[in-house]
Amino acid sequence: MTSHLRGGVRLHGVSKTYGEGAAAVHALQEIELDVPAGKFAAVLGPSGSGKTTLLNIIGGIESADSGKIIVAGQDISGRRPRDLGAFRRAHVGFVFQFFNLISTLTAYENVQAVIELTGCRDRGRIPDLLAAVGLSDRGAHFPAQLSGGEQQRVAIARALATDPDLVLADEPAGALDVATGRRVLELLQQTSRSGCGVIMVTHNEAAAEVADHIVRMRDGAIVSEDRNAMPADASTIRW
Amino acid sequence: MNRALPKKTLRDLRRRLPQVVAIGATVMLGVLLFVASYDSFRNVQASYDRTYVRTHFADVTVTGGDPDAMSAAVRHAVGVDRVATRTQVDRPTAIGATKLVGRVVGMPPPSGGDINEIDLVAGRLPDPARDDQVVVERHTADTFGISAGTPVQVFDGTQWHDVTVSGVGQSPEYLWPARNRQDVLGDPHTFAVLFAPESLARTLSGRAAPNQVLVEMTSTATQSDHDRVMGLLRSVGAVDIEDRADQPSNAALHESLHGLSGMAIGFPALFLTAAAIAEYVLITRLIHTERPIIGTLLALGARRGAVVRHYVWYGAVIAVVGALVGVLAGAAATSAYTTSYASLLALPDTVIEHRISTAVIGFVLGLAAGVFAGLVPAVAAARTAPAEAIRGDRVRPNRIGPLTRLSARWTLIPVTARMALRSLTRNRRRTAATMVGGVLALVLILSSAGMLTSVRAMLDVEFGSVQRQDATILVAPGANNVGAQLVAVPGVATVEPTTMARVTVAMNGHTYPTSLTGFEPATVMHSFRTPEGTARALPADGVLAGVALADKLGVRVGDNLTVVPAAGPASKIRLAGLVDEPLGTALYATNTIARSMTNAGPDGYLLRFHDDVDRDRVRAGATALTGVVAYNDTHAVEHQLDSYLVIFWVFAGAMLVLGGLLAFTVIYVTMTVNLAERTGELATLRAAGAPVRRLTTAFAIENLLATLLAVPMGLAAGIGAGWLFLRSFNNDLFNLHLSVGPTALVLAVAVVAAAGVSQLPAARLINRIDVARVVRERAQ
Repeated sequence: MTSHLRGGVRLHGVSKTYGEGAAAVHALQEIELDVPAGKFAAVLGPSGSGKTTLLNIIGGIESADSGKIIVAGQDISGRRPRDLGAFRRAHVGFVFQFFNLISTLTAYENVQAVIELTGCRDRGRIPDLLAAVGLSDRGAHFPAQLSGGEQQRVAIARALATDPDLVLADEPAGALDVATGRRVLELLQQTSRSGCGVIMVTHNEAAAEVADHIVRMRDGAIVSEDRNAMPADASTIRW
Repeated sequence: MNRALPKKTLRDLRRRLPQVVAIGATVMLGVLLFVASYDSFRNVQASYDRTYVRTHFADVTVTGGDPDAMSAAVRHAVGVDRVATRTQVDRPTAIGATKLVGRVVGMPPPSGGDINEIDLVAGRLPDPARDDQVVVERHTADTFGISAGTPVQVFDGTQWHDVTVSGVGQSPEYLWPARNRQDVLGDPHTFAVLFAPESLARTLSGRAAPNQVLVEMTSTATQSDHDRVMGLLRSVGAVDIEDRADQPSNAALHESLHGLSGMAIGFPALFLTAAAIAEYVLITRLIHTERPIIGTLLALGARRGAVVRHYVWYGAVIAVVGALVGVLAGAAATSAYTTSYASLLALPDTVIEHRISTAVIGFVLGLAAGVFAGLVPAVAAARTAPAEAIRGDRVRPNRIGPLTRLSARWTLIPVTARMALRSLTRNRRRTAATMVGGVLALVLILSSAGMLTSVRAMLDVEFGSVQRQDATILVAPGANNVGAQLVAVPGVATVEPTTMARVTVAMNGHTYPTSLTGFEPATVMHSFRTPEGTARALPADGVLAGVALADKLGVRVGDNLTVVPAAGPASKIRLAGLVDEPLGTALYATNTIARSMTNAGPDGYLLRFHDDVDRDRVRAGATALTGVVAYNDTHAVEHQLDSYLVIFWVFAGAMLVLGGLLAFTVIYVTMTVNLAERTGELATLRAAGAPVRRLTTAFAIENLLATLLAVPMGLAAGIGAGWLFLRSFNNDLFNLHLSVGPTALVLAVAVVAAAGVSQLPAARLINRIDVARVVRERAQ
């Protein structure tokens, strides 16, 4: 099964600073991180600790000031925006706290839109993707007709539409109630178990317990990195 | 349709249906205008051409010399189709009590096959068995109410002949009743055209032989064929050769059309630009609201090209529909415009063609406007940095502007007003987009209204303050004591002698044919306005000239001009000053100077009437005097000029109506787009219990303030656009200055009022917001 494991991440000396001079904010400082392929990693930390910046840099939607970034076997350090777009198309799926679904498209069409915009021709996967997130019967519904949890599940299906090696989730359950959030975490856990790497940013200790790998951050630096030998089953956690 | 993105486009557009329809309408109007003005322009030209071909309008007319020798010289030349000779002379004529210049023209034989054939529009051709019947030209018939049986007297130089009108005819030579190139806009009561059988024409002219040669070239004749014919004519003594391009009627109509050609392109371009800007505003604001979604899609690897194509589609879809409707409506407008033009000028032939090439170009222009309007914001959207777009405004604090800080202290002002004031600076791009509506609206209306008011002002200045005489009288050489008799005509208040002569001014290797008019030194019949706008008197030595002469001949005040009169030697005269007159480019001097330069005696009088005089009675009284050969009523000249400008009035009037519609549409779009963009904010406020009336008021105040801020810019831009359009209409015949005056303020008020009216649908939209749905969507 090892050959199916995808989406490993290795960061070496990654730093990122916003602003200049006295107004400079050091979002990331000399980050060293190694998440093996196919693992579910959770990045924990308070607001402003650099979690989202770290996730964005791994996903190639922000660039680091320095350091080496290898994602899914690709060195993306210093790549041009156009190359990063191609890299994301091939390797990365994103899930955000705010779902950012297109309100004028149905659940099915929201997934389809990503397939069209990325140039992927495989529309036959959409029913399977919706089935995988438990929304087989809600494909024809518009976002306003779906609950928050359902909308986030559509977002997950959308992230998986391009068959990525790595799913990056930024507070995916942050805007959801416990039961709905639990369902979303289950989906991410399933995704990881299928061989796809998952990195989830959260400030929720309980949610992080579902991960194989827990990274704690504070003030732009990694303060601890633990392997979770016994990840919790997402369906059982509470917060 | 199975693709998701086109569905999104259509559904998004459906959500903004009022704005989409409004923008589609602007594209439609731009395309409509282009198709209608361009095809009508060509149709009018084609109508003239059809008449010219059907009636065998002469390509070359030679007057004087030996017509038989000239005819023989060119009859078999390459490219020559027909050659004819005829008699044409100007003779004193009397129609009823009116004396005027009558042009007697020898008619082609009834069998046809000649040149410059006439169309009989009433009555019949002269009876071949009689030698006293003529056909009168249509304009003459209209002016004098002539029909078959009307008697007319013609003076052959020695005696008066009585002739009778047998019918009314139209000639290609008089589609516009111009007597000659310098007399395009005369009083129609001073000039009549009578078509007489050639034998009668010779009798009335007192000539034994024809004095004109007419040449018609074949349709395949080349310019070199034409040049060769001209050379042959000159080789046998032709001097006075008139090309078709210089034929007075044709030249006058061509100039009238040419003056509008710039506007026929410029106005559609302006309308399409307005459509593109309105569309740009709509798509930009749409993209702004979708930034987080765009960021997410880009983060998911969406191809930038696909994002660009998606948003360009918005513009393209609107433009395609608008352009298609525009092409169809343009075809209908072309028919209506061509028909009305032909009807107003009573053209014998009306060609209405709808050209595929025009439709295709119009469609492509409309589509291009839409695609370009979508392309700019679409490219910007595709360049969005995903991380920044996803964070969006949620984490970006609004900048506290000075107005916000200042208004925080204005606690006496209702909070609604303070909200509106702060909104103006809270999102400057949004405010700018709203202001664009006001600016565009003013440009659209002012550019067309400016044309109308400026031409109206031109006529008012020319006939209100420059030409101050009520009538001009031409007397026969040697006529005695006419001035004293004119003073005695009831209704005449003042009489001044004048000198009128055709001259050619030469300088720096250029020549310019014009008129020289002499006045009394302290004349009250004409005021002379300097280019600086001040009044001046006639110089004791030297002449005054219209400002256009300076450009035409490259002369400056103080230069010595060479003035060549129609008869007699050339003389030198100092250019004492330039005058800024709306109509024509003439020379003015004192009577003494004018007579010395033209070697002529007094040949005319200028009359001023008492108020409320019966002008027809004065005309009848004056023309009844012995020695009076022509009478020009200034009112009639003004009326004639109005008729000449008919194509302009129709075109500019249509522009004003369409511009007004478009202006309102643009304002509506920018106002309501502003609202659509803030549906979430307004829904949240409504959910929090804010009364609809208060929200509506705040929104209306904000939009009206933005419109007011746009007014100065709009006025400046609109006046600039009007000035540019007016420049395209200026030539040596018309010297137009932009004159908008209080109209600009009235239009500014109208634009603000239109913005106010646009708040009504906006208020309805606020009232109809589905708070629950919007809040759910925005919570995603």
